[in-house]
Amino acid sequence: MARELDYVMTKKPKSEPEQKSGSLNISGWRQFKAILRKDIVIELRTKEMITSMGLYALLVLVIYYIALSNAGSNFETQRIAAGLLFLAIVFTSMLGLNRSLVHEVDQGCLEALLLSPIDRPIIFFGKAVGNLIFLLIVEVFVTPLFYFIFLSSAKMQNSGPVWMVAIALVVGSIGIAGVGTLLATMSVNTKGKDFMLSVMFIPIMFPLLLAVVAAASQAIMGDPGYVKVFWQMIAAATAYDALMIGASFALYEFILEA
Amino acid sequence: MKGERVKKPIKIAIILMLVGGLLTTAAFLMAFNTAEVQTFGTVNLTKAQAAASNTVFEVAPANLQPIDGTINYLRPWFSQKIFYFHVPFAEASFLIFTVAAFFAVMFLSKRRKSFDTKSRIAMEVAFLFVVATMITGDLWTRASWGMWWDWEPRLTTYLIMMLLMLVYFVLRNSIEDEERRAMYASVFCIIAWIDAPISFFITRIIPSQHPVVFKSGMATSNLVPFIVAQVGMIMIGYAIYTLRVGEEQNRERLEIIKEAIEN
Repeated sequence: MARELDYVMTKKPKSEPEQKSGSLNISGWRQFKAILRKDIVIELRTKEMITSMGLYALLVLVIYYIALSNAGSNFETQRIAAGLLFLAIVFTSMLGLNRSLVHEVDQGCLEALLLSPIDRPIIFFGKAVGNLIFLLIVEVFVTPLFYFIFLSSAKMQNSGPVWMVAIALVVGSIGIAGVGTLLATMSVNTKGKDFMLSVMFIPIMFPLLLAVVAAASQAIMGDPGYVKVFWQMIAAATAYDALMIGASFALYEFILEA
Repeated sequence: MKGERVKKPIKIAIILMLVGGLLTTAAFLMAFNTAEVQTFGTVNLTKAQAAASNTVFEVAPANLQPIDGTINYLRPWFSQKIFYFHVPFAEASFLIFTVAAFFAVMFLSKRRKSFDTKSRIAMEVAFLFVVATMITGDLWTRASWGMWWDWEPRLTTYLIMMLLMLVYFVLRNSIEDEERRAMYASVFCIIAWIDAPISFFITRIIPSQHPVVFKSGMATSNLVPFIVAQVGMIMIGYAIYTLRVGEEQNRERLEIIKEAIEN
């Protein structure tokens, strides 16, 4: 039984589409809602994700004080505020993404999902939207906290409206949750687990973070002509989001299959 | 019988390796002799000329203060020759990375093991070229911009590309199951490749300090050695790739023989 040199791997590509998820006639929208509901119900019962992510974000903010404590009174914190805020969110989101997928694998839920007649892309969107919701909830209370701790004494007369920062946060979070779900699903099946997630996540997210931090920074500082730059950066970030989520959506099937 | 078929591309690869080495060396020498050699000594430029000449061939620091209406600066004579290594390395690295992504797509659609091997080896060669680009680029940055590193768009996106390639190998090493490793690596390769066009086109979109070579135009006497160097570099890349594929196939053959003997 000699192996051949170039063999086709056992998991062959599907030659014809599987039978439509079928006999039960459950629409994609209902499957999506079921996966999302599962995540939210687990969260409501254990409150594990939100508390751990929130506490972690709070600790990151506290540790920022060490960097800023010796900056002196002339230092304008708002010049680096957007970067600090997004840094806290990136670290927090890595924690959350890892947890959300580790649970799925540890408790055998992912296998059950794969056995059930659900289209693979719907699993991706269900998990990604769940992660997005948890991330947004954490942001909703971390961002005001960040303002109170670091920016309440800053001179911010020129700053743009708050909804601009909110847009930057939402665009950033969509990208983080979308691509993060794909990378987290990959990393839970490797030896490194959370280490692999952070190592893959940071370089892939880099262009997106650069764009959203630039946008949020423009809104916070409000230098002349900031509105134009803000929208340019948001457009770049949205394009990157669309590209990356499209790729993740198309490739998620292969990750689940392996 | 089978051995003959395997050896032929390897022979071609060895020849290409030698020819490529000769071509790149020749281009380097041509750059000194036939190309518009930047002369020794200082030149006088007006402020406007200095600002307009920020190309790969005349990098006049635009922030110098004019003395008597003109700027005196020492023309880059030797450091500029890095161009004939740096740019061919960079273009070849983009090309080979694209080949790796192409084989990754082929693997996902056909599931043949050889596509995964080819993708991995193309990635290795691309990484080699990226490192070479980084080293030559750093030397050149130091010589013409006066610093080792600058966070400007092209350098940043290229660094990210290098990190993604590094992560690709870390990812491969952290998965034991062969099929899963091939699958994940292909998926990651495709996602990482998205950074390649971004890095390639970013200097054309965002104004940056890094010159755009083909937009600024090149005198024929500079273009010829550049093309010679580029062709030579691609030959070297192809040769390394082919030799590595041959080596890998032999290694796998050995594994099969071992397995057969054990059974």
